[in-house]
Amino acid sequence: MTTHRNCEGLQRRDCLKLGLGALLGGGFVDALRLRTNAEPKTARKTSCILVWLDGGPSHFETFDPKPDAPAEIRGEFSSIQTKIPGVNFSENMTKLAAISDKLTIIRSVRHDQNNHGAGNHYMTTGSPTRIPVSCGAFVSFHPSMGSVTSAERGAPAGLPPYFSLPDMTRSGGPNFLGARHAPFVVADDPNNAAFQVRDVTIPKDVADGRAMTRRELRNQMDGLLRFQDRSTGDPVLGVDENFHQAVSLMTSPAALAAFEIQRESPLVRDNYGRSAFGQRALLARRLVEAGVPFVTLNNGGWDHHSNIFPAFKKQGQELESVVATLIEDLDQRGLLETTLVIVMGEFGRTPTISTLPGSTTPGRDHWSNAISILVAGCGTPGGQVVGATDRNGYTAIEKIYAPENLVSSVYLKLGINPDKMLYNTVGRPTHLVSDSRPIAELMG
Amino acid sequence: MRARASRSQAVRCRSYVPLKTPVKSSTVRLSVGWAVPTTTGIAWWAQLILHLANSDNRTSDLFGSECQVKSAKCKLKSAPERGPSGTLHFSLLTLHFALLFSLFAIPSADIAAAEPSSAVTFESDIQPLLTRFGCNAGACHGKSRGQNGFALSLLGFDSDMDYAALVHEGRGRRVFSASPATSLLLRKATGQVPHGGGARFAPGTPHYELISAWLLSGAPRTPADAPKIVRVVVEPANRSLVPKESFALKAIAEYSNGARRDVTDSTAFQSNDRAVVAINGEGQVQAGSLPGETAIMARYMSHIAVCAITIPLPGAVPDAAYDALPRLNEIDALVWKKLKLMGMLPSPNTSDATFHRRSFLRVIGRLPTPDETRAFLADNRSDKRQLLVDQLLQRPEYADFWANKWADLLRPNPYRVGVKAVWNLDSWLRDAFRRNMPYDQFVRELVTAQGNTFREGATVLYRDRPTPVEIGSSVSQLFLGVRLECAKCHHHPFEVWSQDDFYGFASFFARVGHHGGISPPISGTEEIIYNLPAGLLNHGRTGLPVEPKTLTGQSLKIGPDDDPREVLAEWITSESNPFFAKVMANRVWSELMGQGLVDPVDDIRATNPASNEPLLDYLAADFRQHKYDIKHLIRRIMTSHVFGLSSNPSERNISDTKNFSRYYRQRLRAEVLLDSVNDVLGTEEDFAAMAPGSRASQLWTHRAASQFLDTFGRPDPNQDPPCERTSDVTTPQVLHLMNSPAFNKKLATDTAQPARLAASELPNDKLVEEVFLRIYCRPPTTAEMTKAAAILPAKESRRPNVEDLFWALMNTPEFYFVD
Repeated sequence: MTTHRNCEGLQRRDCLKLGLGALLGGGFVDALRLRTNAEPKTARKTSCILVWLDGGPSHFETFDPKPDAPAEIRGEFSSIQTKIPGVNFSENMTKLAAISDKLTIIRSVRHDQNNHGAGNHYMTTGSPTRIPVSCGAFVSFHPSMGSVTSAERGAPAGLPPYFSLPDMTRSGGPNFLGARHAPFVVADDPNNAAFQVRDVTIPKDVADGRAMTRRELRNQMDGLLRFQDRSTGDPVLGVDENFHQAVSLMTSPAALAAFEIQRESPLVRDNYGRSAFGQRALLARRLVEAGVPFVTLNNGGWDHHSNIFPAFKKQGQELESVVATLIEDLDQRGLLETTLVIVMGEFGRTPTISTLPGSTTPGRDHWSNAISILVAGCGTPGGQVVGATDRNGYTAIEKIYAPENLVSSVYLKLGINPDKMLYNTVGRPTHLVSDSRPIAELMG
Repeated sequence: MRARASRSQAVRCRSYVPLKTPVKSSTVRLSVGWAVPTTTGIAWWAQLILHLANSDNRTSDLFGSECQVKSAKCKLKSAPERGPSGTLHFSLLTLHFALLFSLFAIPSADIAAAEPSSAVTFESDIQPLLTRFGCNAGACHGKSRGQNGFALSLLGFDSDMDYAALVHEGRGRRVFSASPATSLLLRKATGQVPHGGGARFAPGTPHYELISAWLLSGAPRTPADAPKIVRVVVEPANRSLVPKESFALKAIAEYSNGARRDVTDSTAFQSNDRAVVAINGEGQVQAGSLPGETAIMARYMSHIAVCAITIPLPGAVPDAAYDALPRLNEIDALVWKKLKLMGMLPSPNTSDATFHRRSFLRVIGRLPTPDETRAFLADNRSDKRQLLVDQLLQRPEYADFWANKWADLLRPNPYRVGVKAVWNLDSWLRDAFRRNMPYDQFVRELVTAQGNTFREGATVLYRDRPTPVEIGSSVSQLFLGVRLECAKCHHHPFEVWSQDDFYGFASFFARVGHHGGISPPISGTEEIIYNLPAGLLNHGRTGLPVEPKTLTGQSLKIGPDDDPREVLAEWITSESNPFFAKVMANRVWSELMGQGLVDPVDDIRATNPASNEPLLDYLAADFRQHKYDIKHLIRRIMTSHVFGLSSNPSERNISDTKNFSRYYRQRLRAEVLLDSVNDVLGTEEDFAAMAPGSRASQLWTHRAASQFLDTFGRPDPNQDPPCERTSDVTTPQVLHLMNSPAFNKKLATDTAQPARLAASELPNDKLVEEVFLRIYCRPPTTAEMTKAAAILPAKESRRPNVEDLFWALMNTPEFYFVD
């Protein structure tokens, strides 16, 4: 992954790397649970792929261009027609414009959390931060959509229910739902020829036979007395389940196969783009195909306070190419009907282009009054735009929705009741989403 | 069963929910009890409780479904008579009822009840029903934006708001005095019109009639000068049950004029552990099928009462069995006393090797070396366990290990307060434990900290929690074990704390001044914490300034030149503070025993009683008497017999999870486990921003990169407040120990212990013994020796097999648990 520097001066990658392995957490525990209550196989269940654009992408340069606005607002890019009559995207969104009949674009989500920490929290959990937090904050006051999905849905076949690639988003953790609902983080780059998911295979320099010998020896030496009577609450009993599950995942070709991106044809891999982001999107599709209900693709570098136009051209094109390929690929495989794809960041950007002190190139700053979001699949009607901003893109003025409404829509599509009452570790009740009304236009 | 008469003297007998216990009529004797007779504006009632005594002389209470009341014969003998003291006297005719196939009769009874007040009024009669039927629960109309346009205060803490919501809002359609039955309030509550919450009670029930009467009389409020509730009590306040037994719990409200009123009907009950004992809305307690203990909370308006329930193990244990148990100090006596109550017996004493390993891990957070283990096992002194504890308390690792526990609670996120400040607080903590700073001084220095965050470590607490509201919540939770947080916005739902308490406490911090300190990331700048000359905190709801007030309701005298935090610290650490010593005693107990007497450790409240209250009281008193010496407290606990019990359950304690009848196993903390891996293998960790060779226990921030520590669940610095540690074992942890390249690389390093031992002159059996001593801190059993030696070939080619043996042992729970 390339490193990105957000305005607060943090190197995102460092922060994420530092704090994140704790969250390597344990989807497996759920898988364990699910295996025991395996339901009869019915229709394919719904899934969500969240493409998180960390930093806050500009709405002007994506899905809400203002060609008639003054130059200091309009920016350098022109706009192009889409398949939706009267709706234009920014000029870099050609591939998405070409499949706009499959997309819903929301132009009217807004909130009041104008810094990265708080905006991220609000958009990925549906809950504003309880106390004000600063730009650099990595905070969690409420479980993320992925963790809630992990808790409510689980996953089949020994796979963790919530993945985050290549790292967790700032507020993507489980909070009081507990570490077992933290995302299973796959940090390594699937574009790398030697890519594999960490710790699920035996180390290269240990031969298969030796690994087996070690496990047998381990089982022989494992003499600590266990007490099967569950009421003793002996924590050692859980170890046996974990160990069994670890071995069965390590030795289960079906579970490991989902990780094996190398099985995809070179053509498919080329379509996604031979980049870390492109291959992660492909891995996300494989995971969803295997039954994983929630995958976050954490894609940084959208905090364009400066150098917005050259940077956007490059990133915007990669983004739209990957997202368009993902949606088309899901569609061709019949998975789009059950897979929700969301592309968004923590906020939009200021209408007036400016050059910050100390900077030599212009950019746009944080702006949470107008946010554009792309939604596709899982019964979302295609070819529509929801809401609108004013003529200069300052603020949403029609069909104004809050992050709560967006997150409620996601939950409803995943079969989760957004009005559910959750209890934190001290038993304090909290609504899953405080305003459980969905965005009606997404619900088909 | 409950008999009830209205003014018209018709008597109703109400039924409770079914109870499945079969009763043989030939084995029972019946007796009758009446609960507090109670009157309201429209009715009197008294709970009639039928006690059923069976052949082994245990009584249980009968509920309606088991006996069919011939209610027609349940009549008042005459009109109520007014007694000399203003009470009403009723005489009941014989009450007939059928139990199975036999008919029983209760002889006539005389009952006296207080004279009914003249009217049914809002606060005293109606508002409690909103809690009783869950209307104002957080999940319904009590949530902050209400439900479908009808919002009530959470659990009824705001009578003005609730009255307005019912009577004035909704265009007045919720209540209709001229025709109560058409009021939306009753039509919704009875499900006559669609109601998201369903039908809560039926027309014609006493609750329905009470509300009707209230509406008919014009929906009056309770006069301000009406008697106030002083407290609510439950009867009985504690009870021992056999599995499956049931009984009727009563809730009685006591008023400022001395009146008592049976409010069972309007009380919300909740069991802390429904698997042990369940309770329904009528107050019928039903024991589960297994022995256990828990508390039942009764809530009536803002008052709480608790009933403690124990279900001892079936079967008798002779007293001699308890008398014979060792009593090394008072802790043992108090634990045995509780076990006796529960019918449990402790596990046997653990082996010397286990005690030795356990003590090392609990006091200094590291494994003993093979030499230390051999020496301890060879020591024949009878007091060697006590001597070991004394030695460990003098070890330098003690300070790092215990400072780490406090760092879990206090260590800020460097992205929030800056690197240097975090490091500074970390040094302060380590220094405090190195010097064995008395705990009262430790707390006083933190609470009253002033100065520069780059010099005075304790001030960083105020940089991390800059507002009175934040620091107030932290201080009350950390040092008093009181979770005030809920009371910031509303009355605490299961405690006595109100918003007034919250803001009164937080107001002690209203004069904390902050100067400088540009916000991080990375380092930020120094910030000066000082005292402002004046200032009070404004109440979150009323907006009015609030005078500082302690949690026991005292307004402390604070002169113009006094520092309110000094005054507060004086109160917190004073001998009369009921919370202070207890909280720390509970924390230390939890760290040594694997579980708190109160659990969670910082949630001390009446509704979350300690599993052994006398023991916690004793530990707190002992701690106080010994000048808050933390090492003394540790020594006291570890020199009890209870600390040295085996973790293996016996027949009479297998179900115990909270009475310390055996030692509770626990996975090693992330840092201790990583240090243990390195100690066992003779390898080192290489942390960023630390000197070479530093141990995980010396890290000053949770942000130092370590896949190992993250996998094993150190606190997540991204969370605010940081997540508590979990000691769960997860599949990724198991995978990490099995397969992580880093671990396997250490295992196969030429300079690591497996390679060294393999290359040594040790014969195979001595080598196996060495490996067991390093990892399990005990010699192998004969069977283990045979199995392990069997896989070792001749000395020259044994290195891979030795590595396999290390791998195998380090992947068993005996390595990564404290046993």
